[in-house]
Amino acid sequence: MTTLGRILIVEDDPNDVELTLTALGDYNLANEVVVTRDGQQALDYLYRRGEFSTRSMDNPAVMLLDLKLPKVSGLEVLQQIKSDERLKTMPVVVLTSSNEEKDMMRSYRLGVNAYVVKPVDFHEFVNAVKELGVFWAVINEPPPGSVKK
Amino acid sequence: MRELAEGPTRVGVTRTLARWNRELQTVHSPILRYGFCILGIAIALGLALIFQYYELQDAELPVFTVAIALVTWYAGIGPSVLAVVLAWGCFNYFFAQPLYTFEISRADLPYSVVFVVWAIVVARFAAVRRRIENSLRQIRDTQANLLNLAHDSIFVRDMQNIITYWNRGAEEFYGWTAAEVVGKAATHQLLQTVFPAPVDEIDAELLRTGRWEGELVHIKADGTQAVVASRWSLRRDEQQRPEAILELNNDITELKREQASLHKQRAAELEAANKELESFAYTVSHDLRAPLRHVVGYSELLQKQASSSLDDKSHRYMRTIVESAKRMGNLIDDLLAFSRIGRAETKATAVDLQQLVKESIAEIKQDTKGRDIAWKIGALPVCHGDRPMLKLVVVNLVSNAVKFTRMRTPAEVEIGCVNGNKNDEIEVFVRDNGAGFDMQYVDKLFGVFQRLHLPEQFEGTGIGLATVQRIIHRHGGRVRAEGAVDHGATFYFSLPETQDTAARTANTP
Repeated sequence: MTTLGRILIVEDDPNDVELTLTALGDYNLANEVVVTRDGQQALDYLYRRGEFSTRSMDNPAVMLLDLKLPKVSGLEVLQQIKSDERLKTMPVVVLTSSNEEKDMMRSYRLGVNAYVVKPVDFHEFVNAVKELGVFWAVINEPPPGSVKK
Repeated sequence: MRELAEGPTRVGVTRTLARWNRELQTVHSPILRYGFCILGIAIALGLALIFQYYELQDAELPVFTVAIALVTWYAGIGPSVLAVVLAWGCFNYFFAQPLYTFEISRADLPYSVVFVVWAIVVARFAAVRRRIENSLRQIRDTQANLLNLAHDSIFVRDMQNIITYWNRGAEEFYGWTAAEVVGKAATHQLLQTVFPAPVDEIDAELLRTGRWEGELVHIKADGTQAVVASRWSLRRDEQQRPEAILELNNDITELKREQASLHKQRAAELEAANKELESFAYTVSHDLRAPLRHVVGYSELLQKQASSSLDDKSHRYMRTIVESAKRMGNLIDDLLAFSRIGRAETKATAVDLQQLVKESIAEIKQDTKGRDIAWKIGALPVCHGDRPMLKLVVVNLVSNAVKFTRMRTPAEVEIGCVNGNKNDEIEVFVRDNGAGFDMQYVDKLFGVFQRLHLPEQFEGTGIGLATVQRIIHRHGGRVRAEGAVDHGATFYFSLPETQDTAARTANTP
């Protein structure tokens, strides 16, 4: 039985959002995608604050997190998530342009589940996003409490 | 103030006598001087009478002569004349016939004349000696005064390290007066000298060359610490035995402090600049790549979307857009990697170049399928350096060789070590029979983004050799190249073989 988890995307660049959604759309993974545009909004979503106060209780199956974000940076979001008992089990994948060793090390120290550098090549990018979507939202068994469709 | 060390007694006695001698000679009061004269002659007369009583013949002449000499010596010319007159009088009265009168018998007249002449001669010599000694003392005092004018601390110590001269500069700087230390204190104990090298070595150098200079740390009388630039000169006596050491100390405490703070400031500035560069590189890596991804992404989306309505020309335009964007992506990646080499910390270990070359070739061979390449690999030594960086050097040079021999069948690539080089250096070469280059552009070869071939001929971003050069320079080595158009090229890199490569690598920016 194939079930589909919800994917939370945190990405400030509208083009990247569109390209990501297009890539996920190819595999019909796009229908359960939530997009937040900065770190603050992402945290609001996770803590069901403000505009997200009425959302359902469950956590996303995976979070695709950019590092360079307005207001609250990706690393700060990651730190917040991994230091919260209720959120730390949620898989987080960093999807970023930065291949700086420093960013990688800090992300892994904070407990990130995967670190993916966005490839410049469109095909590679599409493949990377697709595989991420398929793996985390379909193949991987998310921790109890995550949404399944 | 700390206790002064006690000098040896022998030195003290000599010094005390010398001081009395000097003080007696510089008495100016006429009463004292003429008093000394009368006293001297009276004592001489007493002695002569005692000798006469014990029937010691003709003792009066030497006794009076000594008295005259001493009076002349210590009391000057006036008392000297008086002494001669008095001595002659005494002689006439007490010792020349007839006794106890001032008359002189005919027989004793020559003796009397000889006495007077002798007395005058002695007085004359004593006066000359006194004058010479006075002028010598004046010269010495003048020199000492000149030394006192110097700002620097100047002192002389004997071979037992006892201070024998201490100028005013030293008094002011260290806080001890000459009276407190001269003849009493051992230099290094007094100043608690901290030497930059073992004392034995310093002494050996001083004895060998007659000189030594270096930086010393001294503790002053008030307990504060001072850094001095110290220069020592050795003085030898007539038999060439070491006799004394002149030490001239220049206070550089403040200079040292300023240097240290300047150094600190520099380091802070450098760190700030590095931080800035890092954040710049970060921005480049993150922000410059995003638009490129979009250019490529949307172009491909458009290509897919409008595939049927585009003609061949438009398809080519789209392909060019995508390829250019990808190329720019590669340039950015290479540039970032290049800048990272400059910033990254290096870890030096022993690196087996033979093994390194083997690994590099294995990596490159994956991209050379279907090509006829004759590899020739000579014996390579073990060197010191950062392994991943040195591997990058070898990979860059070998893949260059492979790339520029594309049109050769068979292509020849030779890797080896230059023999007969200086002992402290390892020089490795990578030679090919490929496209080569014009030697007049050899200077441009190692520049960033410098290319000697058209992109259609040979692909590449022009960063490979710049990376090689940067890595080798960080290792304290050199790079060079030889070549001729269509006759292949040889690239050399050298590495210092010494153990301190590691230390030097860490400090080279």
